[in-house]
Amino acid sequence: MSSDARLGLLLAIADDELVIGHRLSEWTGWVPYVEEDLAMSSIAQDEIGHARALYEIAATINGGTPDDLALGRAMADYTHAVICERPNRDYAYTAARHYLYDTADAVRLEALTSSTFKELAELVRVLRIEERYHLDHARTWFRRLASGPVEARQRFSDALADALPEAMTIFEPLPDEDALIADGTLPKPGEEMLAAWLDVVGHDLEEVGLERVMEADAEAPVGEVLPTSSGASEVADESPRPLRVPGLERRDGRWVHTAGFSGAGGRSGHHSEDFAPLWEEMTALHRAHPGARW
Amino acid sequence: MTGIEAAVRDALAHVKDPEIPVCTITQLGLVERVDVGDDAVDVTLLPTFVGCPALDEIRIDAERAVAEVAAGRRVTVRFSLEVPWTTDRITEDGREALRTFGIAPPLLQITYPCPNCGSRDTTVEAPFGPTPCRTIRYCNACRNPFEGFKPKKEY
Repeated sequence: MSSDARLGLLLAIADDELVIGHRLSEWTGWVPYVEEDLAMSSIAQDEIGHARALYEIAATINGGTPDDLALGRAMADYTHAVICERPNRDYAYTAARHYLYDTADAVRLEALTSSTFKELAELVRVLRIEERYHLDHARTWFRRLASGPVEARQRFSDALADALPEAMTIFEPLPDEDALIADGTLPKPGEEMLAAWLDVVGHDLEEVGLERVMEADAEAPVGEVLPTSSGASEVADESPRPLRVPGLERRDGRWVHTAGFSGAGGRSGHHSEDFAPLWEEMTALHRAHPGARW
Repeated sequence: MTGIEAAVRDALAHVKDPEIPVCTITQLGLVERVDVGDDAVDVTLLPTFVGCPALDEIRIDAERAVAEVAAGRRVTVRFSLEVPWTTDRITEDGREALRTFGIAPPLLQITYPCPNCGSRDTTVEAPFGPTPCRTIRYCNACRNPFEGFKPKKEY
């Protein structure tokens, strides 16, 4: 097994956790009531802590430091799913993404518990215990907003429909997926995890009568991702290809993903216009004072 | 147990959790292993929560405390995930210390007895609290908010 493939897997998950943790931390001090402010801040802290633990394993492979991996890379070297970098918008979108991300993360972590990569499997076993609190929180908001009143239900289902296609790209295959599958580092392909996640989300949506969220984009491919202005220069010899998020279809009582992932997305370092300002803020201290400690 | 190992364990039993200063890391069940060799002491600790910001401080405090009794041996303290830490590892006197600090010890049930008045008429105010390991609860009897240690268990 090339250690590069394992490094790629660790960085993809770590980047997801770091970037969504950074977004959630933006709610600190701004949530309309203090309990929810604590929840957002606490979940953000957990996600960034999880990222740190993953970067620590990654650092043993590439010989760098966790800080350099987390904050010292060029924009196009981050391989998080684009959904993680989107601005928080309103609470409906934040709650919708939180639900979609954490249910997807749960499927991914469950699969990784049987990874042959011992350090990762051990970490994942611990992370799953902690993520349970995030899932409970996400599902509480899912039920609360989905059950109304009308404006809450409307805005929440619109936000879910907006976020769903991009959330599917959490399972966009890594460039080295075949190698990772071959030696058991990744126990399941992205498409298989995506199918399991669609079952979970489809079931939850049907339970609250919001299956239209799954239907909204069944026909036309949506969710075109714009290349970053600065990221494009990092991959100069590759013209940025838009990410097409494919449709969903209902077959035999199940929601299935029908179209494959064409084009390149977050897992190949292609990000949206929303990543540059986030990256600039997140890495500002590290760039201004390399090696700073406190 | 060698004399040095006993001394190391005793030193660790005096290292406090900076966020719960009435509890030692031994009471919280963080100490997983102590290996004393001819020229090295290796201590393995388990993190309560992976994202706990106090981990670095705990590691440095533990290294300092162990170095004092290690008779010149090189001291390494590291956190490991080889076994998941759960709240079952908190000792009885650790639970008592939490209670006196005003934090209800972890239980796998919704209602925790109030650490102030003992009433069982309490509710969860918010599942997330000031640190990753604590939740906010409220006592309907004495009308005080209090904190509870978040239960952590494998499932």
